[in-house]
Amino acid sequence: MNATAGEPTVAQRPTLMQRMMRANGAMRVRLNFGLLALIILLGLLAPLLPLHDPVRPNPLHRFKPPSVEHPFGTDGNGMDVLSRTIHAIRTDFALALSSVALGIIVGAPLGALSGYFGGRLDGAITRVTEVFQGFPQILFGMAVLAAAGNNMVNLVLIIAFYNVPVYSKMVRSVTLPLREADFVQAARVAGNSPLSVVFRHVLPNTLVPVFSQLPLSCAYAAQMIAGLSFIGLGVAIPTPEWGSMIQLGANQMVFGKWWASIFPGLALFISVWLLNNVSDLFGSLVVRRG
Amino acid sequence: MLDSMREWGLFLLRRFAFFLIALFGVSVITFVVTHKIGNPVYLLVGTRYNQEMLDNIVREIGLDRPLHEQYLRYAGNLLQGNLGTSRFSYNPVLFDIRNRLPATLELSTWALAMGVVWAVPAGVLAALRPRGMLARFADLMARTGVSMPGFWLGLLLIFIFFAELHWFPAPLGRIARSLGPPEYVTGWYTIDTLLAGDHASFASSVSHLILPALTLAITTSPSTLQITRKRMQEVLQSDYIRSARAFGLPTHKVYRYALRNTLGPVITMIAMTYGYLLSGTVLVEVVFTWPGLGLYAVDAMNHSDYEPIMGVVLLSSGFYLLVYLASDIINALFDPRVRIEG
Repeated sequence: MNATAGEPTVAQRPTLMQRMMRANGAMRVRLNFGLLALIILLGLLAPLLPLHDPVRPNPLHRFKPPSVEHPFGTDGNGMDVLSRTIHAIRTDFALALSSVALGIIVGAPLGALSGYFGGRLDGAITRVTEVFQGFPQILFGMAVLAAAGNNMVNLVLIIAFYNVPVYSKMVRSVTLPLREADFVQAARVAGNSPLSVVFRHVLPNTLVPVFSQLPLSCAYAAQMIAGLSFIGLGVAIPTPEWGSMIQLGANQMVFGKWWASIFPGLALFISVWLLNNVSDLFGSLVVRRG
Repeated sequence: MLDSMREWGLFLLRRFAFFLIALFGVSVITFVVTHKIGNPVYLLVGTRYNQEMLDNIVREIGLDRPLHEQYLRYAGNLLQGNLGTSRFSYNPVLFDIRNRLPATLELSTWALAMGVVWAVPAGVLAALRPRGMLARFADLMARTGVSMPGFWLGLLLIFIFFAELHWFPAPLGRIARSLGPPEYVTGWYTIDTLLAGDHASFASSVSHLILPALTLAITTSPSTLQITRKRMQEVLQSDYIRSARAFGLPTHKVYRYALRNTLGPVITMIAMTYGYLLSGTVLVEVVFTWPGLGLYAVDAMNHSDYEPIMGVVLLSSGFYLLVYLASDIINALFDPRVRIEG
């Protein structure tokens, strides 16, 4: 009925985006993905944009309120808050994404192995996962960074470490029903070694839920990175990063000088909000599939 | 009767065994961090040292011994309550922790109470009318709370309610400095001031508590709200509720049955939130200079003193596991299936 000239007459499988829009309303999908893409684009293009140098202090312009010259004002070192807030997108997103990716690389195979083979290995991995969930993450992060060296690499490692159980648990739960699936049994009967069945046939089929979890983990990781940087761990000033920027302006809040902390916090808040929403949107696909 | 006692016994035994294993796991991790990743020798010698001093300390604290021996020594100390000595307060870590624990407990308990009082009814009502105004508002609040960094929200509240409106006192501790702390009974200022009958101090302690507690309530209550709502919705659509309705039971009775069956996961979530709060207050404590465990750990970190941090890590993991155990037991009281399967 809707087919017009030039369009193929064969019913096409709806794309991921179309399915998402059908389940959640086109407006919501466009808005969330569009804004998130805009933020990422801003971060990528930051060096090309006509902004002040994000790391150049200016002792003569400390804690200046928002103006035409500095739309978000300046911080305690006289650095431009707008420029730093935008450049911080790069730092925070890159750190969050790499720590989550690392967590997936370790966690997903662990979960697949655990779910596929079951037995003792499964029991052990599940137990360890449960212990980690109760771990005081910020405090533990503080301890490790203080002991192992306070730098960005260790920050990423710590947050990756928290993500391992998240993904091993999730992949395990997806693997359990796959064990009996026809194509997995076929692969087994065809004489593939158990390990190759897990890595070639089971693991690729757990990717959709993994990717629906990814934005959520990134949101959490970004909050963690900012939180640790807020108390002086991980990313140090002058590298533009939201948590350390908020920290730099924090003392001035009680005096009513709000801009140095509010703007980077707002950027973090909006990014996390969008990442959470996008994760929800992906989640609606997973549920519909199952 | 005998069967159910046996059932309970086995259940408690299993859960308690898991608790002990988890606690052991935590101690192994803290051991690895302090003894393998970090080198405790450098913490003990300070900045001026020579090789001979290093060797002496290595021998003294047993770093030349095999690994399992070192762990046993470490765990033995923990069991005796010896968490080391803080290098910046010069007190045993356990002593400092005992002094600061009430501040954190008071803050997290009030935050939890504020969150639960709002989140559980809102979740239930949102489930009853999924498209109503309240459901939308609850959803917005939950999304905001989850996405907002707590330390930033705290600063925002300080800016609005202290710097601009002057409704609340400066974010400096638990009570006005001019009043001083109340006589120690429970360590909770909101209770101790009441016991002392000092109304001015009570008012001061409450007004110092509200903003940090509100911050934590906003950021930690969404999970409780969501799980209440989701669970209630599931229960309302279940077969037995449909039959109850079909049999013509009055609505309030149907809701009472539904609510009872919603409780299990909600209790677990509340317990987990409480367990999380004890360590999750760190950043908010920093923002409000709240003299609890979190601020203690951060102060210690700024003095490169990490025995206190490890002490607080151990304590809060232990607390988390304990709360988790308690929630399992409460769940088993409500739901016999948990005793048999769990």
